[in-house]
Amino acid sequence: MRWAWRIAYRDLTRNRRRTLFTLLAVALGLALLIVLNGYIAGILEDSLQNSIRLQTRHVQVRADSYAADRRSLQWKDLVNQPAAVVAQAQTMAAVWAAAPVLWSGALLSTRAESVNLQLHGIEVASPIYDPIRSAVVEGAFLTADDRGGLLLGRRLAESLGVHVGDSVRLTLVDANGVPVEALFVVRGLFASGVLVYDEATVFLPLAKAQSLTTVGDRASAVLIQLHRQEDADSVSAALAGPRLQTLTWRELNAFFLQSMGAAMGFYLLFDGIVMLIVAVIIANTLLMAVFERTREIGILASLGMKRGQILCMLLLEATLLALMGSALGVLLGLAGVALLTQNGFVMGEMAAAAGNLPLSNVVYARFVPDTFAWLTVWTLIVAVAASLYPAWFAARLEPVKALHAS
Amino acid sequence: MAIIELAKVSKVYRVGETETRALDRVSLSFEAGEFTALVGPSGSGKTTLLQMVGCLDLPDSGEIWMEGQNVVALSANRRADLRRAVIGFIFQFFALVPVLDAYENVELPLLLSGVGASERRARTLAMLEAVALTDRMHHRPDQLSGGQQQRVAIARALVKRPLVVLADEPTANLDTANGEQAMEIMRRLNEQTGTAFIFATHDPRVMGFARRTVQMVDGRVSAQEAVASGRVLA
Repeated sequence: MRWAWRIAYRDLTRNRRRTLFTLLAVALGLALLIVLNGYIAGILEDSLQNSIRLQTRHVQVRADSYAADRRSLQWKDLVNQPAAVVAQAQTMAAVWAAAPVLWSGALLSTRAESVNLQLHGIEVASPIYDPIRSAVVEGAFLTADDRGGLLLGRRLAESLGVHVGDSVRLTLVDANGVPVEALFVVRGLFASGVLVYDEATVFLPLAKAQSLTTVGDRASAVLIQLHRQEDADSVSAALAGPRLQTLTWRELNAFFLQSMGAAMGFYLLFDGIVMLIVAVIIANTLLMAVFERTREIGILASLGMKRGQILCMLLLEATLLALMGSALGVLLGLAGVALLTQNGFVMGEMAAAAGNLPLSNVVYARFVPDTFAWLTVWTLIVAVAASLYPAWFAARLEPVKALHAS
Repeated sequence: MAIIELAKVSKVYRVGETETRALDRVSLSFEAGEFTALVGPSGSGKTTLLQMVGCLDLPDSGEIWMEGQNVVALSANRRADLRRAVIGFIFQFFALVPVLDAYENVELPLLLSGVGASERRARTLAMLEAVALTDRMHHRPDQLSGGQQQRVAIARALVKRPLVVLADEPTANLDTANGEQAMEIMRRLNEQTGTAFIFATHDPRVMGFARRTVQMVDGRVSAQEAVASGRVLA
């Protein structure tokens, strides 16, 4: 078959401009897919890690009747004696930090306007809030004994025209169903890098939040941060107890992960469309080549080349084209992904418009070798499959008709 | 001994409503080592006859016997085997593979036949020497003159030591000197190798080389004539 490789390779050099453009089409198509998939993988991982870092953490322990979407403050729905759960968690080697949290819906009002947001009563000394502590951009972080201060997202403060030191009013419904309101001073502003989070979150010290909502020392959940997220299942199992539910980051982000799964279906469709375009270009190039070389195919048939050998020769030509195009595409794609892993892609207002997706302001692409390999192999398969028709067409030419083609 | 026999071979080409009877019940045989010219005006059926004998096309009726087999009954792949093993072609339009150089063009039939590397090289070089093209063997067809290209085609047709070489108007695109040189080479190789040559021509100067002429008119054999020895061009 060496002769077939030789002819196939040299045929590619015959019309160099056409070969170059076809090669570029394959390369750019694959490079686009690699960059896009690297970018999508970056968005997924970024969103998931933001969700874990700022919202869910790796494991949560809640009362078994607690429903996160209702943010109930009724005592039966809260963790009784959260300090005991925290103490138990902190004995485990896999646990990096654990802290109770109290969640409640709240209405924040200034003189001019009001906005609904989520109140987090937090144990301010816990390292679990290091990401927020380090994200303070104006004023200061809360202190545990602060009874009249709160922390706001900078984006929300800007939209409300509120500054550090200003007073705002918080209104909520306590554990007994009684509306309560209180004045707070804005101690500091944070910018977590996730715009949707910064727009809808307010922090109070846990003790103040507990007294305001009349829940005693109860908490909505105990948040647990692990050294490695792979340990979530074992920690979750170890903390299981009567009237408690333990949830891992997978369960806590199940809706997000399912949504992403559905979104990936769309990207698969996009991948398919790009591959189809590559296939059409390859098929067109090879069909043109067959039309141009009809008489030559007749000559090869007259020398005794069988239909299978003619088919094979043209498939080899397509394979070479696809291999070279794919190699170039992988190089270009990896270079593009490398650039996006270094410099990232500034999402800006797009991140804010991403609904509940906790997207960072700057998203970095990720290297996902399995996906890149999968895309390359499929591009090769699609390219070679696309050449089947032109190759079959050439192989079916009657030698005598091919010889007399003009 | 007859190496090829045609029995009542007919072929009709249809273009729209028009039918052209290219061959009309032609019965003919060819002996080993003969040097035969099929002569006649354009449209007389010479090329069609060569295509039938060369297993490039099939007749509508009749039989063609070669190597003890009726080629009409063979599959496309078996006919390709036959072309590869026992038939060499020389075309009017030189018909070289443009991306291969002269050496590779001559070598190609041996590659297709699976001949080993050392024998392949020896036979390819010997054929290139026989057509006086050793010094041009690494030139591609577009770097060779028409006469040189046709000599490469002659070498390619003969390198596999075929039973018969079919040449369709082999000198039609050559000037007188190159045409004469190509015919001299073919006649010499016919004498040296014993390979039969059947060439279609309507050039009376080329007919002079033949030891046998078959006259064709309107798809029929109108006359056959044996010539004691081929004569040189006038």
